[in-house]
Amino acid sequence: MRLHYYLLFPEDKKNFMKKRKTVFQEGPIRPAFIANAIEKHQTKTTIGAHDIFLGQVRADEIDGKVVKSIEYTAYEEMAENKFQEIREATFSKFELTCMHIYHSLGNVNAGEICLFVFVSAPHRKTAFNALEFLVEEIKKEVPVFGKEIFEDETHIWKVNN
Amino acid sequence: MDIKVRYFGMIAETANCTEEILSVDKECNVDELKKILKSKYQKLQNSSFTIAIDKQIASDTNKLNSNHEIALLPPFSGG
Repeated sequence: MRLHYYLLFPEDKKNFMKKRKTVFQEGPIRPAFIANAIEKHQTKTTIGAHDIFLGQVRADEIDGKVVKSIEYTAYEEMAENKFQEIREATFSKFELTCMHIYHSLGNVNAGEICLFVFVSAPHRKTAFNALEFLVEEIKKEVPVFGKEIFEDETHIWKVNN
Repeated sequence: MDIKVRYFGMIAETANCTEEILSVDKECNVDELKKILKSKYQKLQNSSFTIAIDKQIASDTNKLNSNHEIALLPPFSGG
């Protein structure tokens, strides 16, 4: 259905591309997925600059114990709404060509990627500024909760600074 | 009236459930709900949390009703 809609109304494609997207993925975001996302943009030749943020799980040492993974949960319905609000705010603030956000749910091991934010614009400064704004908003506004699990299976709850 | 409250993250762990029905006064607001929850779950007295009504962060004076989707949210830690 969606593909047909595109073909019939190509002028609506831009708006369609900005419609609601699913952000959450189960488990870590794989480097191959990121590479594939970059490759998909090679047909969009108005883009002159991409900027990418990758959040990676740190093996923090806390009171002598080392974090082996983070288990993410979220208030998913509210989080998806927030992601959508943040997307719209970013699009209205910056002249971006496109924007993609992916966040993990469930277990992500130290060293693996839990957040992938990808912005594209005609010029670099727009991409730099939009990306920083976007990542800060995500950290501050989206109800995602990380449980840091230690090697001995005990845990603490992470809090963003 | 009865309200359904959803718990997330550290708070779900403290309450040992992800949602429950609470019986509160008809004119109950967010601040009063916080007090009820803190007395029910002692551990919440030392933790910071916000309350969302229908997926929006609520302020202390917002009144509750039984149709609301009420959620207790610990500090966010995404990314």
